[in-house]
Amino acid sequence: MSFLSFLFPPGDRWIFLAWILLCLISLAVLWSVTEPIHGPYHQLDPGVAKGIFFRQVFWAVIGYMALLVASRVPLRYLDNIAIPLFLFTVVLLVFILLAGPVIGGARRWLAIGPIRFQPSELAKVTFILVTANILGRSVEEGRGLVAAMVSFLVMAVPMVLVLREPDLGTSLVFLAVWVGMVFWYGFPGVLLLGAGSAAISAVIMFYSESVAKEAWPWGLYVLLILVVLYFMRLSILSKVVLLAVNIGFGIGIPFFWEKLKGYQQERILTFFDPSRDAFGSGYQAIQSKVAIGSGGLFGTHYLQGTQKGLAFLPERHTDFIFSVVGEELGFFGAVILLGLFLVIILRGIDYGAAARRPFGRFVAIGVVTYFTFHVVVNVAITTGLLPVTGLPLPLISYGGSNLLVSSLLLGLLLNVSSRTFEN
Amino acid sequence: MAEREHLIRRGIFRTVVIILFLILVGNIFVMMVPQHAYYKDQALKNRQVRFRVRAPRGLIKDRNGIILADNTYIADITVPGSSLGSAGPDTTLSRLINWFDLPREDTLQRLREQKEAGGRGGLVLVSNATMPQIAAVEERGRQLPGVRVEARPRRRYLFGELFAHVIGYVGEVVTADLDTTGESTGYKIGDMIGKQGAETALEDRLRGGSGTKLEEVNASGRVVGRRPVWLQEVTPGLDVTLSISLEYQHRMAEAIGERTACGVALDTRTGEVLAAFSHPAFDPNLMTVPITADQWNDLSGNPDKPFFNRIVQATYPPASLYKPVTSLAGLANGVIGTSSVLEPCLGGWSFGNRYFRCWKRAGHGLVDHTEAIVQSCDTFYYQLGLRLEIDQLAAAARSLGLGRVCTNIFADEAAGNIPDTAWYDKRFGKGKWTRGVLLNNSIGQGEILVTPIQMALLTARLATSGKTPDPVFVVNPRSPAKMPEALPYRERDLAWVRRSMELTVSEGTGKAAALDSIAVAGKTGTAQNPHGDDHAWFMCFAPVGDPQVAMVVIVENAGHGSSEAAPVAGQWLRTFFAEGDSLSPPPSPVTTNGRGH
Repeated sequence: MSFLSFLFPPGDRWIFLAWILLCLISLAVLWSVTEPIHGPYHQLDPGVAKGIFFRQVFWAVIGYMALLVASRVPLRYLDNIAIPLFLFTVVLLVFILLAGPVIGGARRWLAIGPIRFQPSELAKVTFILVTANILGRSVEEGRGLVAAMVSFLVMAVPMVLVLREPDLGTSLVFLAVWVGMVFWYGFPGVLLLGAGSAAISAVIMFYSESVAKEAWPWGLYVLLILVVLYFMRLSILSKVVLLAVNIGFGIGIPFFWEKLKGYQQERILTFFDPSRDAFGSGYQAIQSKVAIGSGGLFGTHYLQGTQKGLAFLPERHTDFIFSVVGEELGFFGAVILLGLFLVIILRGIDYGAAARRPFGRFVAIGVVTYFTFHVVVNVAITTGLLPVTGLPLPLISYGGSNLLVSSLLLGLLLNVSSRTFEN
Repeated sequence: MAEREHLIRRGIFRTVVIILFLILVGNIFVMMVPQHAYYKDQALKNRQVRFRVRAPRGLIKDRNGIILADNTYIADITVPGSSLGSAGPDTTLSRLINWFDLPREDTLQRLREQKEAGGRGGLVLVSNATMPQIAAVEERGRQLPGVRVEARPRRRYLFGELFAHVIGYVGEVVTADLDTTGESTGYKIGDMIGKQGAETALEDRLRGGSGTKLEEVNASGRVVGRRPVWLQEVTPGLDVTLSISLEYQHRMAEAIGERTACGVALDTRTGEVLAAFSHPAFDPNLMTVPITADQWNDLSGNPDKPFFNRIVQATYPPASLYKPVTSLAGLANGVIGTSSVLEPCLGGWSFGNRYFRCWKRAGHGLVDHTEAIVQSCDTFYYQLGLRLEIDQLAAAARSLGLGRVCTNIFADEAAGNIPDTAWYDKRFGKGKWTRGVLLNNSIGQGEILVTPIQMALLTARLATSGKTPDPVFVVNPRSPAKMPEALPYRERDLAWVRRSMELTVSEGTGKAAALDSIAVAGKTGTAQNPHGDDHAWFMCFAPVGDPQVAMVVIVENAGHGSSEAAPVAGQWLRTFFAEGDSLSPPPSPVTTNGRGH
């Protein structure tokens, strides 16, 4: 193996190419975002420091090395150390909850000297590995519902710990990745139906309760469920359980609502009606839509975006970076960006089916679900389809942990893809 | 795992992912293509703010071009209209109210009124903000979206009280100014408008036209450094030149001193007012910003009424200053000659069952017409009056400029009162009054009322045989001068009146106004005041041979004109004709900004 070929990871070239292009887009957009604010008031509104761009360059190099390493580590070895690794992360998560520094009202960071690190990001990797381990082993030993249940409990641990930090966005990542992986495992359709309908029930109940202030939408939904269940070929027990789950979630949502923090309630309410707080939490949603919509087909051209340039966009270098892509690069730029992610996801699904060993399949699907969830939810938030919750756009948003973990996960995907036909 | 099951899952997973991405792309497409124009417009509105730029008001200068009123800039702190919703103030506004320690309910009410008045831009939260307030906003700009510090021209009266009543002052428009005639007046809430004096009379010339510009702002609402787009240029107000000279006005104020008094001096040849001062006055700089309660109470509670413009608003009986009018009426109607002698003055005159006193209880004895003016003998004039009809006396008064508004710049100028038959019929009823009113009228008492400006005009007309036009306060723009009607009196009668007045100053009651080198003609008066001490009057003109200046002084509640008013006139005339060495240095502009606390 020559040195040059060492620089190229094994496996799918398209995924690696997509990684390179996404990193370059990220750097280009961050260069634009860190240009100084127009006008004489720069001292009052310093904008985003140029240093952000250079730090992202540094993290891209680190991410590249992580990708190289992850793409070559023997998967069997990872399978073996998945459980200890996961336990280690759980310890870290517990530790920061007890003793981590409070930054911005949350305990999310572990500070070692000058380096700040979010254990919840590491947890995304180890969680995928441990779930792949559990489900993969179960597949080899003959499937059982027990493995799915165990994996759920395993998922619940980091999810609850991260929710306590508090970090709602990241905690939902665990749930989403688990759903994707368990689906791949072969979850009984009736349970999926139960979970899905329960979620819908909860959303409708929430809508009835806090926005419409009337009970009939939820009542209508329960009626609909009854009709559907009547025509379905299911055991009586399943039907009763399904109905109970639906009603339970619906009635439970007001209690859950009470548990939410004030700012979280506010964000969700504002999602349904952004103008209710045009300068508060609705501001981000409104400004983000304005920036994207004003981009048009071809954008306002690189470095020329006024919403970005005049600092109308908050969090424009992190969670709302897609707004800058939309404003400056336009519809075509946004579609190219989404297309690159779609390349990773669709090819990843193929490897999830084609990988030789179950552990690799589940790792691939975990990585795919991670990217799908992050991209879909982040873009949906910036375009006003979902309420504002902190969730970065993988590889694009500024942030070392995000870039490192996303690259590492893609390295794992490349690793799986390189072992498809291996015996 | 069965291969077929695997393919199904792969298909489902792919489908779900593709559907999700299609939703995202579809949504982005809708935002970026069909709705692009809307968002583009929103983005433009985000960063383009329409500013109304108020025009600087025209300067007001004295007759020599010295600036009396100019403009400075003050800062207002404004909040966006959206910060005060129907549900109440938003967090930014509430925060500001707390920082600045403003009375919450009053402030909100004021802002609500501004919003209802339909101001397009921001609502003025703090007018004439202090440096700490401005600094507070500038420092925390990022936390205060839409909050701005806006500069606005503010009127500055460089000589404060000296011109308070002539120039008047400006104040914020009130609702009535915004739409008085149903058509757009061009005034927006927060604009300044003339409230008194020349500022009101010349409002249309002074105000100029406001402009509108589009400025690019950033997310903090701060203007960023690009050229504004002017939708309409600002038209500065035009300058105005007064007839008053700063120096003469200052001399008048000096001569009046601390008296409650009023002095007016006219150029007899042009009718131009050279000085017109009413004391006590007020500092008009206090009126251009919301005045504090203490300052208002001080001014409005002052028993000498500083806001009262005595030049044109105060009406007094002319008293003995009226005697030349009665004489001219008598001469014109042939009931008396210039050297006629009437019954001797024994200290009064009986008419009906009433005894009308002369001011000199001991009596003047036998006096001729000239003596009667010089000594101001009431008894002589009672007899002269009884030879006249009331309408003949009233006509004489009107011919000299009394009984009507005679300037065109004071909205609330008093016309005074020159009673005639019609007036008495209306007042007391036909046949219910007697010729006894003639006794009071002939000595300028009774129901006759005049203003100082009218008496100045009367003096000038006596001096020039009626050639002086109505008083002029503004020489640029000059209103077309209306030549006065010729006086219906023989020139030798007028010359005799002037000679009598000259004698009054040289050897009669007006000695205090005599100058060393210039002959002065004058007349003293002591107006009976039913509410207190008598008012002291003095009118005069000089030089006698070639009259240049006519002036009137009234000192309220002071007593005799000879001892209280004539010296004031004398002091002013001495400085006017540059006699003596009592000249103090000319005044320099005041530099206070009128904030006063």
